Amino acid sequence: MNVTQDLSILSLITNASVLVQLVMALLLVVSFMSWLFIFRKLFALRLAAVQTEKFERDFWSGSDMNGLYQSAVNDRHRAGSLERIFEAGFREFAKLRAQRGTDPSIPVEGARRAMRATYQREMDNLERHLSFLASVGSVSPYVGLFGTVWGIMNSFRSLANVNQATLAHVAPGIAEALIATAIGLFAAIPAVIAYNRYAHDIDRLAIRFESFIEEFSNILQRQSGVSK
Amino acid sequence: MSAAVGALLYQEPGKVPSAVLALLVHVLLALFLIFGVHWQNRQPEAVTVELWASPPAPVGEKVEPAPQVKPEPVPEPKAAVTPEPKVEKVVEPPKPDIVLEKKKEPKKKEVPKKVEPKPHKPEPKLNLDRSKDIRAQLERETTALSQQLEKDRILDQMRREAAAFAATADAAYIGKLKGKIKGNVVLPPDIAGNPEAIFDVVQLPTGEVMSVRLRKSSGHKAYDAAVERAILKSSPLPRPDKPEQFQRNLEIKFRPQELK
Repeated sequence: MNVTQDLSILSLITNASVLVQLVMALLLVVSFMSWLFIFRKLFALRLAAVQTEKFERDFWSGSDMNGLYQSAVNDRHRAGSLERIFEAGFREFAKLRAQRGTDPSIPVEGARRAMRATYQREMDNLERHLSFLASVGSVSPYVGLFGTVWGIMNSFRSLANVNQATLAHVAPGIAEALIATAIGLFAAIPAVIAYNRYAHDIDRLAIRFESFIEEFSNILQRQSGVSK
Repeated sequence: MSAAVGALLYQEPGKVPSAVLALLVHVLLALFLIFGVHWQNRQPEAVTVELWASPPAPVGEKVEPAPQVKPEPVPEPKAAVTPEPKVEKVVEPPKPDIVLEKKKEPKKKEVPKKVEPKPHKPEPKLNLDRSKDIRAQLERETTALSQQLEKDRILDQMRREAAAFAATADAAYIGKLKGKIKGNVVLPPDIAGNPEAIFDVVQLPTGEVMSVRLRKSSGHKAYDAAVERAILKSSPLPRPDKPEQFQRNLEIKFRPQELK
């Protein structure tokens, strides 16, 4: 039987109404998922950048293309995106060139198409889960706001029948409700930052892949011209 | 073909570490919020203060009388000294009936405060003979004003204490609640001993019972049920005399002996 002066976070959360608590729980789960994907994408993109770097170095250092192809085929699960693009292109090129009596431009075109397809697939993998971060960033503030509005509605409703309305009647309710917005923002802000950062990183990787495809096509073109 | 298989096999690295890290982020945040943030976590303790001497004058209010007194070269120190003994006399009586007078008193004092400043301004231009009278009056008024300000401040302080105090001092209200509920309890016949049952009652401001929850059972189910029925039947519950004593969540304890 004492007034709840205690405004610690825990008591605010436990005193909130059921709907607000549900909203908070939902936001907490969403926040956890978004952080999970933030870290997973962080690791994945860092690894992709390192692998791309390494393969570009190997490729342009003038090593034998067959050797590169063999190593890409042999440990496929350790290969990076760019290595897989190279592998797909080179395999297609080798197959088409083996067929005698074709136009020299055909193997190059085939290789290019194969690389395009692999490129699309790799980009899809890299962009996986990114849309989740985008939705969390844009939606969770609204969800939090919904919880807050609901909580404030309730705390005002309880004011309706009081003769002397004081701030003390509504203040705890509003504080409780605002926790929901706080959690929503806590989920949204990192998600938005991570989304922007990762989208930028992926764009840069995409540009590297595309320019590699063009350059590699040129090399293949040259080779097929020489071999004729 | 094999590229497609490669895509299917594709797995993002660091599944477990990222799960651990995500968990860590949230645990850290929770720890920070629970232990790092204290909003008014300490309850303002309901300390009853007996005023033996006037409380130290606040800085903001002392400034006010000074500019009014400055223009005259007449003994001012008295003005500063006189208010103090008077304050004690004024302050002591309102203390007991503070809770009742709360609402009325501040309004009375607002009025003289506003009127006061105007007479000061024309005053320095008058000749000396008259200005003495006026000054005497002015001094009386300033002392009265500073007394009122002080009184206001003390009342305000006491009101805050009283608000904290009122909640604990609502035994009468609990008595009223229990009295009403008691009338509705139909005791089961076979109660042994005097076990205590504690109920959490949520009520609306009108006194209507929203929910009754048994927090601590007495161990006797029929008795618990009887009291619960009685609480529900007692809706609307009696309202406290003072609206600030109203509490949405009540904790009510019942012992069978006191119900008989």
